[in-house]
Amino acid sequence: MATETRNAPPRPFVAGFPKRSRFEIRDNIWKWIFLLPAVAIIVVLLAIPVLWTLYAAFTDLHLFRIGVDTKFVGLANFEKLLANRSFWRTARNTVVFMLGVVPTQLIIGLVIALALNNITRGQKLFRTWFLMPLMVSPVVVSFIVGRMLFQEDIGPINEILRGLGFEGIPWLTSPTWAMIALMVIDVWQWSSFMILMLLAALQGVPPDLHEAARVDGANQLQAFWRITVPLIMPITMTALLIRIIDAFKVVDIIMVLTGGGPGQATESVTLAIYRTGVKGGDLAFGSSQAYFLLLVLLIFGGAYLVLTRRAMGKE
Amino acid sequence: MGLHAQKRFRRIVSYGILVFWSFILLFPMYWVVITSFKNPIDMSIRATYLPFIDFQPGLHAWRYLFVDRLTWFLDPFMNSVAVAFVSSAIALVIGSSAGYALARFDYGGRNNSIVLGFMSQRMFPGALFILAFLVMFRELKLLDTRTALIIVYSSGAIPFIVWVMRDFFEGLPVEIEESAMIDGANRLGVLFRIAMPLAAPGLVAVFVLSLIGAWNEYLVALTLTFRESITIPLFMTMQVSQTGYTEWWNMSAISLVSVIPVVVAGMALEKYITGGLTFGALKG
Repeated sequence: MATETRNAPPRPFVAGFPKRSRFEIRDNIWKWIFLLPAVAIIVVLLAIPVLWTLYAAFTDLHLFRIGVDTKFVGLANFEKLLANRSFWRTARNTVVFMLGVVPTQLIIGLVIALALNNITRGQKLFRTWFLMPLMVSPVVVSFIVGRMLFQEDIGPINEILRGLGFEGIPWLTSPTWAMIALMVIDVWQWSSFMILMLLAALQGVPPDLHEAARVDGANQLQAFWRITVPLIMPITMTALLIRIIDAFKVVDIIMVLTGGGPGQATESVTLAIYRTGVKGGDLAFGSSQAYFLLLVLLIFGGAYLVLTRRAMGKE
Repeated sequence: MGLHAQKRFRRIVSYGILVFWSFILLFPMYWVVITSFKNPIDMSIRATYLPFIDFQPGLHAWRYLFVDRLTWFLDPFMNSVAVAFVSSAIALVIGSSAGYALARFDYGGRNNSIVLGFMSQRMFPGALFILAFLVMFRELKLLDTRTALIIVYSSGAIPFIVWVMRDFFEGLPVEIEESAMIDGANRLGVLFRIAMPLAAPGLVAVFVLSLIGAWNEYLVALTLTFRESITIPLFMTMQVSQTGYTEWWNMSAISLVSVIPVVVAGMALEKYITGGLTFGALKG
């Protein structure tokens, strides 16, 4: 996320050698040689796609007839979008997914980070192991692992459930369970991010502050709520925002585990954009969907930042 | 309960929780490993859990992968290696030079805005890019080439590298660079001979993180490549849809080959990687 730096204190510039003009002249060349390649690449590969997609969203551009009388259609794509029930379905799926995974990851992250912060022996070992899911490709996690573990007839999860006397769960054939299976995969993979962020936050809480509160008669829970929680709040909020945005963009695990199905039950917005624009070739409509997603992210991210800053300012 | 007993109790509960979560993380990986040693029969009637006890492990999936079909698998593997290493190397050189410049030079007081501009890329959803990339690389006749993926992946990694490395370079003492320049070194020499070696931990972290990102990326690869230049993740999903999700032992072996290098690299460099992952947010 780009926004963290906004609140950072202004940094002192260590500008080479202010008084030695001999160096300064040569530095004036280097300073551009070092910076410009990065700027050029980002402008070409960020700005051009973003502007081109905006342009496409207002046309009837189609992949299979590019350059053949493209017409401006004004807001037609967006009108189509708002009236498109299947698109709203994918928007709903995406929100449901986000609301399912992010709070779960927060809770798991907090519990595990507190446990990690409580121990000294073996802490590094656990921390290293918890890094593992973040390194594994989502395709492997969702396709190989998800497909095998959630296999309905002889997958281990259903076998164990049956062994315990329950019914097997229709993981991939029921719309609800398919969504839950995807959430389980995302939680498995990304809880580690929360754990590492919250652990770093907890390690920044000075232990004597806690001790002092205990000496003053606060119990464990009070000390946690009054001292630890406010101190880890800023990092927690940032971590949450990163996860929320990522959850809104979810696509690869869905593509590989359920393909958006059964029916359209697990299709996310990004998957819909891929299907419309890349598979279907309808670049114009796909672009309008992409801009809709961007708009939601911008509005949500902006509101989130304003609200959390305000809430934390009051504390 | 005395304070001491209370502390001990909390520690025991903590270990319990950590072991439980470690097991949750381990189980799927364990499953992939044992599946890669299973025979078709071990997956057709019921689930089998323990090698040698409820199924007889065999090497046929590994033989299939490394002996029978090596070339079939080697192409996408080499694509992944080439794309991940070249894109990360390009991003590292370009991104860390820019990070250094933003740490040491003044751009009219706009350094923070420039960094923010770089990072704004993370706000944009990938879906916003794939359509434009598809058209762009089709016009450039670069569809289904490694070059296309290298261009996209390095541009994707640069903002993060600029951001992390700028802070890293700012933390380095400027005096060493100063004295080197008085001794006649120029900026390029200072950057490559002094600043970069001192910033090695940061460079390792961002390099490995962008390597892993490129290695695991799926959506862009799916959009831009389809035959010659497919990477490992794409190759796996293509195989599985062609074979109708049945050859789990082969797929498990391929998964392991693709996952083990990055997981080992990531975990071996745990200290740096965790720093790189949490870095941005912690600067808050």
